[in-house]
Amino acid sequence: MPVLAIKLAYRNLVGAGLRTWLNVSVLSFAFVVIIFHNGLIDGWNQQARRDTIAWEYGFGHLLNKAYDPYDPFSLQDGHGILQTKMRQRLIPVLIQQGTLYPGGRMVPVLLKGIETDQEILKLPTKLFLKTDADIPALIGKRMARALKLKKGDRVLLRWRDKNATFDAANITIIGIFNNNVPTVDNGQIWIPIEKLWEMTGLSGHATLFIATNDYVHVPIPGWHFKDHDTLLAVLDNMIAMKKVGGSIIYFLLLALALLAIFDTQVLSVFRRQREIGTYIALGMTRLQVVALFSMEGAMNSLLATLVGSLYGIPLLFYFAKIGIGMPATADDMGISIAERIFPVYGAGLILGTIALVVISATIVSFLPAKKIAKMDPADALKGKIQ
Amino acid sequence: MKIISVENVVKCFPVGDGKFTALDHISLDFFTGEFAGLVGPSGSGKTTLLNIIGSLDKPSKGKAQVAGKDIEALTHKQAAQLRNHSIGFIFQVFNLLPVYTVFENVEFALLLQKKPWHERKKAVMDALEWVGLENMADKKISKLSGGESQRVAIARAMVKRPRIMLADEPSANLDAKNTHSIMETMKTLNQEFKTTFLFSTHDEKVMQYLDRIIHLEDGKVVKDEIITSRKEDF
Repeated sequence: MPVLAIKLAYRNLVGAGLRTWLNVSVLSFAFVVIIFHNGLIDGWNQQARRDTIAWEYGFGHLLNKAYDPYDPFSLQDGHGILQTKMRQRLIPVLIQQGTLYPGGRMVPVLLKGIETDQEILKLPTKLFLKTDADIPALIGKRMARALKLKKGDRVLLRWRDKNATFDAANITIIGIFNNNVPTVDNGQIWIPIEKLWEMTGLSGHATLFIATNDYVHVPIPGWHFKDHDTLLAVLDNMIAMKKVGGSIIYFLLLALALLAIFDTQVLSVFRRQREIGTYIALGMTRLQVVALFSMEGAMNSLLATLVGSLYGIPLLFYFAKIGIGMPATADDMGISIAERIFPVYGAGLILGTIALVVISATIVSFLPAKKIAKMDPADALKGKIQ
Repeated sequence: MKIISVENVVKCFPVGDGKFTALDHISLDFFTGEFAGLVGPSGSGKTTLLNIIGSLDKPSKGKAQVAGKDIEALTHKQAAQLRNHSIGFIFQVFNLLPVYTVFENVEFALLLQKKPWHERKKAVMDALEWVGLENMADKKISKLSGGESQRVAIARAMVKRPRIMLADEPSANLDAKNTHSIMETMKTLNQEFKTTFLFSTHDEKVMQYLDRIIHLEDGKVVKDEIITSRKEDF
């Protein structure tokens, strides 16, 4: 029966003409939008992971046990010294609090000391080697925009040393780096770690170490290591939440398309009663007729997949190539987001979407078709509404 | 050889709080190769009896045996098999499938029988030749006249070479010329293949071709007359 149902369903759909193509158009649009939206989110996810690793996480973080990245109060004591032999393949970062006074305003900042010759993060720390400024500082584009600072500006910084004594001096902005990772940018000032050690008296101290690619972690008392999966879990969760939010739109679209199929099927069961009666008179069982109608719904979705492929593949390929420009305000979302996001369409996404559309279309076709099983064929032949 | 046997069949339909008796203790036998008709006014029970014989409905009481099968005992699947293999239907409004071509309409029953393509093609073209439509195989149903449509319906019913053909008011939507034409076609098929034809009609033009006329009134047989020299065959 499946082969026969497919053959007959195909004939019926092609024969139904405009009605079929309307359903197919709406469904194919939903199909393309679902793939595009998920591809965009996946592309964003991949870009965010890539950029966050390149700008912030390196190959993992070795954190002082007293330091909690989500608790600013832990900065006071969350640092320590690691023996030289344990520091192999690790880049130290010391984080302290400070206050910046740009244009007479008072802005709390995080002072981050980092090695000038590190190459593991994309931060342009090599610039520190080319300046003779007393306290050279690097800031990100968001920080520069927020504080209206530009390269060459000198601005007063106040900090507290290890004895809790406040000190202040002018820092010089020697570079503004362009990046997609707000967590290395917003409210942060990067300075050479040797200078920060000197300013705070915390010589040799680090709040965390960034692992290089050949780092092999062995447990170190007082420190704990976070690998990529742990560090990126927050980012993954945030993107997953965005995905759920966006899903509402395409589920609405899919629901509209399915409603169109459901409506067509309900109408068909009433309008095509004489045809149903004829099928039965010609020797089809009721279940075969139900299967035929369900198959018509499923084929609607398969046709939608074909039609969607015709215009969707070039369209999606085009967007994957040129990317989607993100508005300037997207910078303020707090998640790593590039100026252009390049959608990524995986096999899982495409096959999953096809399965979703086909299965849901079959189910909504089957529901009204079930009514056929209860029809009296003699009345159906007369076209009597039952 | 007896091919249809109806014994004390009663068929009632619920109407409001009561019931309507469409067939009232009908007993009839039909033999292989008969060209018979049920005649009577609207509501006399012609179509109801045809539906029971066609296994589209079951009697409320009594027994109906068709091609050796007890209609009241058949499951949905068994009834479908009986219709698919042994019974052909011709309807008043043709009941052709509008999205199919002439060929596809006729082919339908053979698809259900899972016949291979070359067998189907030959059988369909033969059936279209019987009804004189061999040149219209690729036409859409919407392009056919009433007479042509009923010929396609006859070809569709005959293509599987059923033992019984049930025709419910086959001339109701045809003019006199087309009525004579399709009746002559059916008579030829009846003689050639010894298929039993059972009509439901109140059309005089159809009646003049019948060998046996059973008059129904209010669900009862009021007269059963054998018309032609075929009497001795029964």
